[in-house]
Amino acid sequence: MLNVEIRKRLPGFSLDVSLSAGSELVAIFGPSGSGKSLTLQCIAGLLKPDEGRIAINGRPVFDSAQGINLRPQERKVGYLFQDYALFPHLSVVDNIGYGLHTLSRGERAERVDKLLISMRLEGLERRRPGELSGGQQQRVALARVLATEPEMLLLDEPFSALDSPIRGRLHADLLELLNRAPITAILVTHDLNEAYTLSQKMMVYDAGRVLQAGPRDAVLRRPATRTVARFTATKNIFRGIVTSRQSGHLGVRVAGLEIQTPTGPYEEGETIDLCIRPEEIMLIRPDREAGTAVEENWYHGEVVGEIAHGTSFTLQFKLDGNPLKSSRDFDLHIDLPANVYYRLEIGTNKHWTVSLKKESIYLIGPAGP
Amino acid sequence: MSSVDLFPLWLSLRVAAVATLLDLLLGLPLAWLLTRGKFRGRDLLSAVVILPMVLPPTVLGYYLLLGLGRQGPIGRLLEGTLGFTLVFTWQAAVIASCVVSVPLLVRAAQAAFEGINPNLENAARTLGRSEMSIFLTITVPLAWRGILAGTVLAFARAFGEFGATLMVAGNIPGNTQTLPIAIYDAVQAGNMDTANLLVLIITVTTVVALVAMSRAARAARL
Repeated sequence: MLNVEIRKRLPGFSLDVSLSAGSELVAIFGPSGSGKSLTLQCIAGLLKPDEGRIAINGRPVFDSAQGINLRPQERKVGYLFQDYALFPHLSVVDNIGYGLHTLSRGERAERVDKLLISMRLEGLERRRPGELSGGQQQRVALARVLATEPEMLLLDEPFSALDSPIRGRLHADLLELLNRAPITAILVTHDLNEAYTLSQKMMVYDAGRVLQAGPRDAVLRRPATRTVARFTATKNIFRGIVTSRQSGHLGVRVAGLEIQTPTGPYEEGETIDLCIRPEEIMLIRPDREAGTAVEENWYHGEVVGEIAHGTSFTLQFKLDGNPLKSSRDFDLHIDLPANVYYRLEIGTNKHWTVSLKKESIYLIGPAGP
Repeated sequence: MSSVDLFPLWLSLRVAAVATLLDLLLGLPLAWLLTRGKFRGRDLLSAVVILPMVLPPTVLGYYLLLGLGRQGPIGRLLEGTLGFTLVFTWQAAVIASCVVSVPLLVRAAQAAFEGINPNLENAARTLGRSEMSIFLTITVPLAWRGILAGTVLAFARAFGEFGATLMVAGNIPGNTQTLPIAIYDAVQAGNMDTANLLVLIITVTTVVALVAMSRAARAARL
């Protein structure tokens, strides 16, 4: 259990955040310089906030009003640094056991041995960090953090320096670990996929503030603002005016385009922001009839560009007649798996009808940041 | 051929060794404080530490005389409690050597401490170790090459101290006549044979110390 509510001013930057977490992993996600690591350092006691409260499992470790500020040594928080911070002059065994100075030699050896096995580090006991691969260093750093059986884990972009396949393996390791022994964990990352994969709850940071906090699916599919939508790679974000309110949907005009959207508490004439995720836009097979699909927002256009990601493609789609009067070369981002791309032969067939299904459109809210 | 009295050599070695030891005891914590401490008078403290490197040795000697002399605060304290007069003893020579050499050690140690990734010490803190324990098990072991280079430099400086030493310890042959003072003495008296030998000894000793320092500094850069 973690409860944080802190403010800190630095030259040219101010942090003002609240967060709470139960026995789960919360991913703090946002661009560089938005205050994510700063928050972790304050929780760990490595930095002192100007004011606020931090309580771990109900125990206040920082409270500016009451003058409480426990040293990092007293907070029982495990911190995994971005550069691992392994002690270069100590062996793997001595690194892992560094925090176990209060245990007897036997107990220490036992605990270190268990971690060596669970983190797949057998055979590396006597090596120095400089003689280990990136993935091995990461596992030693994790073992060292877990050795002291902390009440909470703080992970500061711990996987950012690793190659994808190794990162995937370590993600699986971490998930398995947290499954076996649930603990409050805060993960800082600027990788959206990593944030989603590892977390139950996500918090989006920008310039020292929390823009949105909630279950990861809510943050991904129901962004609170345009900025959050941008950060979470919702690449089709539009601003339009409500033209009509019907019983099951709204009519919204975006520039020269009429769209049927889900219903919402907006009046006619109101300007609102809406979005649709790139993987939700469907390509309609040429043999399907137009007939019934008014509410499915069918539009004609052509693929004017594409980005190949290996296992998926992003298409840059321009609508016929340029209804959006966009200054860019295209209007929509469409993501689809590679096998669909090849099956539909999009390499040669560029003209398509796309569907922006009503249920896939999300109304962010009144026009905002 | 009169035998040259080598007492000054042994005295200088003894004085420099004790002064260097004091340098370490005083200078390492000071360097640590200046590197990581965040407190109001930090810049002032830094300036005070560097001062002996910049002031003329006779000025330093004068200040030491004021403080350690029989009329000075420390001098009176020592006389009152231990019945001990500090000026014109070899211990005063140690203090003079310490004051001029400690800035060299502090600067070298500071540079070495600054080269250590602060996350290492932070990691140690989150793992529950005390500040002293972190200093001894992480900071000093990682900075030892820089500290060694600084120690050798400090020793060389302490060994060659002249001006301040002359003022607080005097030139008492067989008691406080260190090697540099003995050379000055010999030249004044026209004993060029003695002077030549003593100069040779001091030059060789200093060159050896500097070579060792250069080696240690190179190893530190690796």
